[in-house]
Amino acid sequence: MGNEAGSVSTQVEADPERPSNFHLQTDNAWSGLVPVGRQVLRALPLSLLVLAVAICLNFALPRLAPGDPIDFLIPAEQANKITYEQRMELASSYGLQGSTGEQFVRYLGNLAKGDLGTSTRYGAPVSELLADRLPWTLLLVGTSVFLSTLIGAALGFRSAWRRGSASDVRTLTGVMVLDSFPPFFVALLLVLLFSVTLKLLPVFGALPGSEAEGLEFAIEVARRAILPIAALTLSGLGSAFLVARSSAVTELGEDYVTMAAAKGLDGAGVRRHARRNALVPVWTVGMLNVGALFGGAAPVETVFAYPGLGRLIYESVLSRDYPVLQGAFLLIAAGVIAANLIAELVYPYLDPRVRRPGTAGS
Amino acid sequence: MSRRQSPGKILGRVGLVLLAVPALAAVFAPLTARHSPTRPSARPLLKPSLGHPLGTDDLGIDIFAQLIYGSRISLAIGLGAAVLAVVVGLTVALVAGWRRGWAETVLMRLTDVTLAFPFLPLVLVLAAFFGRGLIVTALVIGAVTWARPARVLWAQVLKLREYPHVQAARAMGATGTRCVVRHILTRLTPVTSAQFVRVANAAVISEAALAFLGLGDPNQASWGIMLANASSNNALLTGAWKWWMVPPGLALTLVVLGFAFTGYASEEWADPRLASTGRLRFLSSRRRRPSPAATAAAVETPDPGPILSVRDLVVHYDRQGPAVVKGVSFDVERERVTALVGESGSGKSTIVLALLGLLPGDPLVEGEATFEGRKLLRAAAAARVRGRQVGFVTQAAMNALNPAYTIHFQVSEAAALTMPQEEARRRATDLLETVGLPASDHGAYPHELSGGMRQRVVIAMALANKPDLLIADEPTTGLDLVTQAAILHLLGDLKDRLGLTVLLITHDVQMVMRVADEIVILQDGCVVEQGAVDTVVADPQQDYTRRLLNTRLSPLTVKV
Repeated sequence: MGNEAGSVSTQVEADPERPSNFHLQTDNAWSGLVPVGRQVLRALPLSLLVLAVAICLNFALPRLAPGDPIDFLIPAEQANKITYEQRMELASSYGLQGSTGEQFVRYLGNLAKGDLGTSTRYGAPVSELLADRLPWTLLLVGTSVFLSTLIGAALGFRSAWRRGSASDVRTLTGVMVLDSFPPFFVALLLVLLFSVTLKLLPVFGALPGSEAEGLEFAIEVARRAILPIAALTLSGLGSAFLVARSSAVTELGEDYVTMAAAKGLDGAGVRRHARRNALVPVWTVGMLNVGALFGGAAPVETVFAYPGLGRLIYESVLSRDYPVLQGAFLLIAAGVIAANLIAELVYPYLDPRVRRPGTAGS
Repeated sequence: MSRRQSPGKILGRVGLVLLAVPALAAVFAPLTARHSPTRPSARPLLKPSLGHPLGTDDLGIDIFAQLIYGSRISLAIGLGAAVLAVVVGLTVALVAGWRRGWAETVLMRLTDVTLAFPFLPLVLVLAAFFGRGLIVTALVIGAVTWARPARVLWAQVLKLREYPHVQAARAMGATGTRCVVRHILTRLTPVTSAQFVRVANAAVISEAALAFLGLGDPNQASWGIMLANASSNNALLTGAWKWWMVPPGLALTLVVLGFAFTGYASEEWADPRLASTGRLRFLSSRRRRPSPAATAAAVETPDPGPILSVRDLVVHYDRQGPAVVKGVSFDVERERVTALVGESGSGKSTIVLALLGLLPGDPLVEGEATFEGRKLLRAAAAARVRGRQVGFVTQAAMNALNPAYTIHFQVSEAAALTMPQEEARRRATDLLETVGLPASDHGAYPHELSGGMRQRVVIAMALANKPDLLIADEPTTGLDLVTQAAILHLLGDLKDRLGLTVLLITHDVQMVMRVADEIVILQDGCVVEQGAVDTVVADPQQDYTRRLLNTRLSPLTVKV
């Protein structure tokens, strides 16, 4: 099995055995800052635009949907009992009185103050509910994307170096089979195996019921996070693997790989050259996965009754808690924007052709 | 020894079979399932029996019928959404990536805006506000997922634009549409099909996820709804999961896997590079610290004989194939320039790649080659001399630099094989200056330099460890005349100053006459004639030699 598996990582830049490839730029060190500045200037307005569209969509959706937006604020079981006065009172407390323009201005004003409205189900401010849920989603998504990208890329590169061998075909097939299981089905199977059959791990919520403290508390939290993280990691492995493998196989066909061998580098050195370029798409896909999982973990969170953002969206859809639904939607959009922004900012450091658009001859 | 085979063909066949099963089930559902998938046909929660192979659910509906009819929903959603998403995504990517300008700005903003809405929450929200029909689900999934193919394909288009041959085609006046079709679209096929599969996967899974979350079309028997029902009826605890959960879960998995396998196969079929199974031997070579004994031995053997001696070299690209090099023998004398001359396909590059152990795949190499008194034709031996005693300027060397590293790094990396880091950096600086690159260019990336400059960098790289022999494969091909002359001048100059031995591979007879001392003429894998250049040119013994020399003198009078 692969002795290079350990050395394959997204941290090629930190490889201690390799001299920095930026050492020649010390004489004009500021030039290293320019691409960041350029990239911020390029990416930030875009992120703001996306955010603006999300905010507008959030305002428009309940008003575009069939029916009166006030109807969306009344729990279904009370819909027939409510009086006209109660409706008007509801309308004013949720900022639905006045013309659409006035409503929009008020909506923006509240948003600027961080006021996302009040949950019709809990009666608590939406922002508080979101703040409760966000850390759990970050825990699940951050850990699982990190793990699936790391493992997927390591396996993918290893497969690429052995392209066409029996071990490559085995790994490729295995990962594709694994990748094809729907995440929530994997989650159900994990519950079946580890909780129902082996009775090893709890499957409900994120926090222990008893009053655990300190290290014990941390262990209990970890025990409850293991299965959701495992389910999300397994389902994210495939995309990282396939991208890593196919981009590395493609890079191996490039002339610079033969040249790297011709100039005397050993296998590890040649692989490092190919990997350096193959990492660019792996990084992009990793950040896309972060964005996608921000709300996309909903089915898995539901299986484990895990209090993340996805589960919050699901709950608020079922209980028709539209202020929460919209607030969560906005937060998830912001999370994806942040992930994209980070991807954009790092990209030039992965590909010098983007960092320093050149004027090549030939 | 097992032959390597690309996985695509087998996976593709398996994938088609996997997709054929639910497709047949979808078409012949009324024949296969004897009960209705939506109306109760027996008592609730029955265990499997002959009449109900998978029992009944909590409403008494036949689970087997639901399983069969569920294939219709999954396939329809998957294919429908994927076609929609890929057509939109590809159009956006091509227009944005090729036209650039304001179209790109608008389209990519739109793409990013769409991408910023993770589609599962968006579909949940839309379902919450607009209802939960099957067609709405399919449309929403397709309309939201086009952005990812668009972005991935767009990045690909931008990359392809910068490819030398695309740049060349554009420079030579190829029109936009032709360029797009010939150079971009064909190369996009693998990525496009991969994206198609990904969207189909995503659509099938997210329809199931929505249904599982209770937002599916309640009037349809979908696999996701079955899983949700089973889950809410505690099938995990009652043991009913065996017939209620596993069949729809596996059915979903098999459909997704079918898409994944066929997608992979189409990707390989469209992009031969992905199907290349050629093992690259040098990927597994280990670094060897030069042992003091070996170094000493190399120093103390001023062997007066030829530096490289090749005897009866035969090369097959693979064990079944015909010989490409058919028993070639020649010597390379010290401090001389020996030219290996022949038309393309004569096997001249193959000889060198075989000597250096750089042939891809599983080639058959026979015969004998001695370099400085040591046998060369074993992989380990070739790895030991590569870059150290033998410097190699590969064919199309100006494209042989890694785009991710500065040229100085790439040269000093080579030098660092035989000297400490600091010294290697100084050596790289010296070498780059020697080949004519001013210090201001040393921090440049390959894409910032012209072809001739890159060629010089590769020559510097080949000289990094003061090799005893420099092999240059068509070092002037692809360069303009002035640059060709400059590179030739550089090689001649280096040879004189460093006392280099050079093995030059070329089809250019004029170049041979200017710089070479010895000539070896190859035709179809065999040596036709060899000797000192002056002798051979003055008195060629073979018809082929005469013709080859004449092509230079007057192309119109080949037959004298």
